[in-house]
Amino acid sequence: MKCKLFFAVVSFHLTSLICASLGFAQSQITSPTTAEIFKQFSEQVVKIEVVESGSGAKASVGSGFFANERGQIVTNYHVVSKLIHSPDRYRIDVSAPSGQTAQAAVLAVDVIYDLAVLSINRSIKGFLRFETTPVAQGTRLYSLGHPQDLGLTIVEGTYNGLLQHSLYPKVHFTGSLNPGMSGGPTVTHAGKVVGINVATEGEQISFLVPAARAISLLEKTAAIEKPSTADFLAEVGRQIQANQARYLDGMFSKATPSVTLGPYSLPTKPADFFRCWADALRRKELPYVVISHDCSTDDYIFVSSEQSSGIVRFYHQLLSTEELNPARFFTLYSSQVQAGNVALFGNEEEVTPFRCLTRNLQTQGGKLKGVLCARQYVKLPGLYDAVFRGATLGARNVGLVTTLSLSGVSFENIQALTRRYAEAIKWRR
Amino acid sequence: MAPLGYIEVLDHKGNVVERTRINSFPVHVGRAYSNEVVIDDPYVCPAHITIELDDGGSLIARDLNSINGLRTASDRKKRLAKLELNSGSQFQIGHTTLRYRSFDHPLAPTLLDRENEASFFGSPHVAVFAGLLVFALLCLEGFLGSVERVTIAGIVSEPLVTFATLFLWAGLWTLAGRVILSRFYFFEHVTIASFAIVGFFAINAVAEWLEFLFPFIPALWLAGVFGAGLILAALVFGHLRFASMMRRRSRIWAAFSVSAALIGISFISDYANRSKFSNVMEFNGIVKPLDAAWVPTISVEQFIDSSQKLKKDLETLAQKSKSVQP
Repeated sequence: MKCKLFFAVVSFHLTSLICASLGFAQSQITSPTTAEIFKQFSEQVVKIEVVESGSGAKASVGSGFFANERGQIVTNYHVVSKLIHSPDRYRIDVSAPSGQTAQAAVLAVDVIYDLAVLSINRSIKGFLRFETTPVAQGTRLYSLGHPQDLGLTIVEGTYNGLLQHSLYPKVHFTGSLNPGMSGGPTVTHAGKVVGINVATEGEQISFLVPAARAISLLEKTAAIEKPSTADFLAEVGRQIQANQARYLDGMFSKATPSVTLGPYSLPTKPADFFRCWADALRRKELPYVVISHDCSTDDYIFVSSEQSSGIVRFYHQLLSTEELNPARFFTLYSSQVQAGNVALFGNEEEVTPFRCLTRNLQTQGGKLKGVLCARQYVKLPGLYDAVFRGATLGARNVGLVTTLSLSGVSFENIQALTRRYAEAIKWRR
Repeated sequence: MAPLGYIEVLDHKGNVVERTRINSFPVHVGRAYSNEVVIDDPYVCPAHITIELDDGGSLIARDLNSINGLRTASDRKKRLAKLELNSGSQFQIGHTTLRYRSFDHPLAPTLLDRENEASFFGSPHVAVFAGLLVFALLCLEGFLGSVERVTIAGIVSEPLVTFATLFLWAGLWTLAGRVILSRFYFFEHVTIASFAIVGFFAINAVAEWLEFLFPFIPALWLAGVFGAGLILAALVFGHLRFASMMRRRSRIWAAFSVSAALIGISFISDYANRSKFSNVMEFNGIVKPLDAAWVPTISVEQFIDSSQKLKKDLETLAQKSKSVQP
């Protein structure tokens, strides 16, 4: 899973000293072109700090850039998400390379693509324009931002097209983005913004939000004269609700491909944006075999540091034995059904505890023990996390535990997907 | 003429504490050592009453102008100058209850002493059988509960500690019985503890099957808890029978009190844990090797309909959570 680039403030005096001196050494050998680009466009890149109002301490640091003549700043939603969730507890400070600092207000957010537009009450010296023509693969790009709060930095890399199997289009940027550079611009040598820094998978694999998304969000803010006191959290909830249909409609319908595990035929890779893996646990000292098949969306929507939405994961575990008698095999089987190996985080402020419904079900294929557990988002009404687990019944030395895990979806979608998923489990005669 | 008999001093439960034989009347009763019946009670006068025969041959207790008087046991407020006594009559002087019984007072039939007879619980055969049954169940549980390859030595050695604990438990009760009753009841305690363990095994097995077959029955676990509570009460009741002088009724009370207290404590700690926030999904994952035809089911559609209740519960939880937060 990708790692978002925002940077929670921790003490790092020693690291910062070492990194700062390395940065200095690097700048000595930078090619003149890069130096010129830095000189020409760095004035339009800002540092964005989310500050805890009570203590005046930084809670998170990211980057942003001026995107139009009205001085509106584009950054990532995840850079300012703390303020969106608790507007009374935080404020946003924006500082330009010249050292000038101003307080900013949120104008608009796009939680699906991880973007936010801010405004400040200051005149600006200039702004960056967006690249609207297609860019060729291999084009040299320059990313700007404040990695680890070490000061404005420029990183060279190359454009490698849009991700092929992503639910949300993202630019694949081969270059080292680091925490703190989130929200900063990645530009061509002409200073035109190709994308907004958003995530990294390490080892030079980085991702940008395509410029087109920022352009359309900025168009929405054109009519806004001054920042409203609108409840952006409710807007976040609305956007997530509206986005669900895009990827959940028809998932696990009859057209979903299937995979065969033992006597069962089970759903697999329901869409291009899923990745599936398979594995088997077959050890000499164990009197049973576990074959697993695991599919998950690769992408997710950042809601807050402890919450994400839009993840769909499902996995099948086929247990079988030639050796154990039914009573012993079912001890193993029961413990596998009970096992809580579904990683879901969350705290009391954001989610309710889980509540579960357990029944024995008759599907078109056969009989299942079915468990549906769900919890509600406290601050985003109408959104839920849910886990459906099914365990096939009737066989004596083989059993299937299958789990569907959904995050940040409506209850109606939980019901629809659970229904289709349960019916997609087939018994091969 | 009424026959001679005994003057008995009774405690507050009606048990005889002292008994003085009456060979002739009148009998003098009081605190002074010159009396035939000497009462050790500071509220009794040195010469408190006499018991004598009147002219008609009736036996009369007469107050000798005592400070605290003569009263009947049934009406202690009323002071009497004299009181006619029959065999079995009770009366009060000072803080002391006295009873007169004639020599020919009818007696209750003699009780058959079963203590020394061979009882079911006291039989060494039963104790050995019950102990072995527990051991076999522990081994079976260990065997069925393991999903790795096992050896006979491994299966037999695993429950030894639990098995030894059973004997330690029975031993402690036996020791208590030895101190209180001056008798050893080891086999009885082994048998009682063993049967209780077998009972717990049975209840556990029944509960698992019921929860698997009928997950829709709400609070099925509550029935399990009460079943376990009953076995616990029976265990305490049985042990007390062979380790105390408590009467049957008191033992029933003690047994249910202990059982209720333990269940209460577990409910309270369960409630305390429940109100803590947790990300854990709590459900019962038990499945059993049963032919699918025997498993009662509902349709997927009905399952989805039932989930509407889940949604309502979550709505309530979210409202509660919102109202708690600042």
